[in-house]
Amino acid sequence: MTNDKTDVWQGTLALMVLKTLEMMGAMHGYGVARRIEQTSGDLLSVNYGTLYPALLKLEQEGFIASEWGVSDNNRKAKFYKLTRAGKKQLEKEALEWEQATAILARFLTPGEAER
Amino acid sequence: MSAVRAWFARLGGLFGKGRRDRELEAEIASHLELHMEDNIRAGMTPVEARRQAILKLGGIEQSKESYRERRGLPWLETLVRDVRYGVRMLAKTPTLTFILAITLALGIGVNAAIFSIVDSFLIRPLPVPHAQQIIRLASHQIGGSAPLGATAFSYPDLADFRKQGADTFSDLFVYQPFIAGLSADGRAEQLLGSYVSGNYFSALGLEPALGRLLLPGEGERPGDPPYLVLAYSYWQTRFGGDRNVIGKEVRLNGDPATIIGVAPKGFRGTYSILDMDAYLPLSMFAQGPELGGLFTVRQMRTLRAMGRLKPGVSVAQAQSVANVIAERLANQYADADKGISVRVIPELLSRPDPDVGRMVPAVAGLFLLLAALVLLLACLNVANILIARATVREREMAMRSALGAGRLRLMRQVLTEAILLALLGAAAGAVLGVWASGSISSILPKSNPPFHFDFRFDWRVFAYTLGAALLAGFFVGLWPALRAARTNLSAVLHEGGRNDSAGANRHRMRSGLVVVQVAGSLALLVVAGLFVRSLGRAQQTYLGFDPTHLLNVIVDPHEIGYDEARTNQFYREIEERVRALPGVQSASLAFNFPMGSFTNGRPIEVEGHPPPVGQQPPVVLFNQVDSAYFETMRVPLLRGRAFVDSDDEASPPVAIVNRTMAEKFWPGQDAIGKRFRVAGAAGGFAEIVGIAGNGQYMIMGEPPQPFFYLPLKQSYSSMRTLQIRSSVPPASLLLEVQREIRNLAPDLPVYDAETMEQALAGGNGYFVYRFGATMAGAMGLVGLILAVVGVYGVMSFSMAQRTREIGIRMALGATGLDILGVVLREGFAIILAGVAVGLVGAWALTRGMGRFAAGPSRAGFLIFAGAALVLTCVALVACWIPARRAMRVDPMEALRYE
Repeated sequence: MTNDKTDVWQGTLALMVLKTLEMMGAMHGYGVARRIEQTSGDLLSVNYGTLYPALLKLEQEGFIASEWGVSDNNRKAKFYKLTRAGKKQLEKEALEWEQATAILARFLTPGEAER
Repeated sequence: MSAVRAWFARLGGLFGKGRRDRELEAEIASHLELHMEDNIRAGMTPVEARRQAILKLGGIEQSKESYRERRGLPWLETLVRDVRYGVRMLAKTPTLTFILAITLALGIGVNAAIFSIVDSFLIRPLPVPHAQQIIRLASHQIGGSAPLGATAFSYPDLADFRKQGADTFSDLFVYQPFIAGLSADGRAEQLLGSYVSGNYFSALGLEPALGRLLLPGEGERPGDPPYLVLAYSYWQTRFGGDRNVIGKEVRLNGDPATIIGVAPKGFRGTYSILDMDAYLPLSMFAQGPELGGLFTVRQMRTLRAMGRLKPGVSVAQAQSVANVIAERLANQYADADKGISVRVIPELLSRPDPDVGRMVPAVAGLFLLLAALVLLLACLNVANILIARATVREREMAMRSALGAGRLRLMRQVLTEAILLALLGAAAGAVLGVWASGSISSILPKSNPPFHFDFRFDWRVFAYTLGAALLAGFFVGLWPALRAARTNLSAVLHEGGRNDSAGANRHRMRSGLVVVQVAGSLALLVVAGLFVRSLGRAQQTYLGFDPTHLLNVIVDPHEIGYDEARTNQFYREIEERVRALPGVQSASLAFNFPMGSFTNGRPIEVEGHPPPVGQQPPVVLFNQVDSAYFETMRVPLLRGRAFVDSDDEASPPVAIVNRTMAEKFWPGQDAIGKRFRVAGAAGGFAEIVGIAGNGQYMIMGEPPQPFFYLPLKQSYSSMRTLQIRSSVPPASLLLEVQREIRNLAPDLPVYDAETMEQALAGGNGYFVYRFGATMAGAMGLVGLILAVVGVYGVMSFSMAQRTREIGIRMALGATGLDILGVVLREGFAIILAGVAVGLVGAWALTRGMGRFAAGPSRAGFLIFAGAALVLTCVALVACWIPARRAMRVDPMEALRYE
């Protein structure tokens, strides 16, 4: 990427979606995408197109549920919210992610120091 | 879990495509609008806002497509598309599809039929829980040739095995089939039952359908109450499923017995080829003649032993435990158990009896192999045609490839088509198989008691058929699929449909397939020939008696409670009355007849030669006959005399032995005047008064074995066969004989009545040979037809492709005969190659089957040569037709063609 924004890859996108929905409650797809960008301090660029297959996958797995509703400014939109299974999955994935980053950090930190 | 859930969601996603697509449209539209509003709020013009929103979404169509892929199961959708396309392609050429499907159906049907037979005999487990734990214990006389020794167990030995093997066998039980007369509600009829130990049902894990079953320990002491457990089907047919049957008093061979319960539905006993009607305790068995010592005499090996292994115990472990126990018993009871070994055999591998059962899996394997060979031939035919068609479809494949279809995708398409074809063939084949196994059931002999033949299409047969079909489909589709994948785009599109030389490689390939076909067909023909020869040889076997014009009628007055005196009286009278019938030449009585359902064998002891300690006396088969027997049966007496009426209870015991017995026990001496007796029996020695010629006694094709005859007056049997030699067709006498029996004893059921020739066609006679010959012959014929079709197909196609070449040759002056020579040379080369390969294959295949069909020999060589000759001639005829067509090619037309 010549862009200094990082592309979001699939596995972490799901985790971010779950976390976003946990914090914000029910949200439509566009809202989720915007929220992820904002939370990352606009360092991440979500290709909005990839979001919908990811949402569908989470829904098929039973972690989120969807429903058509009306947005703040009176537009019809599909709203997603976290299910109980989704909450559990989020806890599990968050823990795994923390462990993975902790391990990686241990590898990377001394290497960086030497350089 | 979530993965499974997602999978189902995606499966569901395959349906309602339109609605879901509209929903996605709506969601994307709402997304864009929300984004646009934000952008406008940030100060963009509406046009710019829309552009940015679309850009940010990243190609809408790609998003939709990846969404769609995630929604459903793409591979399943592709499969559905392939299947749809395949069906359309097959429907486009209905005649060809029909021919291909029928060819495969033939091959698959043969497999389904053979497998359903094998399934019913060997694979279908007993209908009991954990059937794989059930084993048989077969005791064997080490080094002995006694045919009866292999199944027989004594009760005292069983008791010791139970005690000492308690860690290995969770249960050991015994049973013994019998035939008796059952009278209930004023009606007497024949019943086939099993005497069983008390734990029979609990060991098998069966629950009663009604009332109760025998309990462990029940009936294992003399004098235990005479209980009777009905089989479910017998309860239905004989007692109409009456629930009040419990507690009913019936009479079994005249003795009272009480019905206590009904065995579960579907359980037919443990003797695989027969359906049991009832189960009785061993104590009733012990009431039988000469069976008083059942529970105490170790030599009385009259029971069939089975057991259930403890969970986790292997057959090998059980065998080593059995070895230890058998050895211990041999030391402890040398007089009875020395020289006896005990084998542990899984129930499935020992049907119906361990001694017979040893050969059955091998025969089954051979027939499954032959059936597989037939299917292979069918597949080769289909593959051949599909390869030819692949040529025609090459342009289609090239086009699809040019439009972006991947190689795997093309292969999958072609394979799907082939498998569809095979499934079509499997459906027709299953119908064919049901019909075939049904008609096989009908050629089986009507025996008494009736054999149990249940060639039904259960899930195993279905799975086997389906497996065969998928394999066949894959097999026939493989070459065309590989071709499709290798399609060289530019070559095909440039070739412009002209392929005089490009097809040469393909043609060689197809010729190769036909070579294999001819070879396989030859192997089938040779095997069929060997089976047919075995049948012929069996039919020419010297029987030792004259089977023509002979009627056998079996009755047992004990079944209606006659005592010994009354039974003797009855037989005397019936014999006299039958002799007085017109058309009767002579009549006699005997316990059994050769190749009949019953055999008698006893261990014997020659006077002055008691068996050495630690060696069991040899068991010899015998028959009890009256004075007219040798005349009626026309058994030649080599020396001495036949029995006479004065050989009775009051006179010294006498016997007649056959030549083998005389030579074996009194080698180099004159056996007449020598004496022997049943070992261990208190009775006196019988003096040999005559030597009879050898014959076949138990099973057709048996090697010569010792045999002796005792006079019925000195060796009582209540069951006897009335044998009638007639000058008229014997079957025509049957009604009159039955009428005479009814006049004398109105209630007496006639157990069995058939001519000697019918009996010889039965289970112990030619049946096995005829069955083998019929099946192998049918498969040989199918194989021959398939090979001929294959040769014809490849030659016709080759000629059609070479029309231009032939036209040129003719234009250059070749005559019709020259062309004929070219064609026949090509055909002949294929056939000869096939015959050569086939001879080698057939030789390898038949080397192992020497035991159940005639093995290679001088006559076997003739069969090989004959089969090769037949096949060559028929195949050459198949070449002749396309050759004649080639001869008539008009050069002008051929050159203008294309």
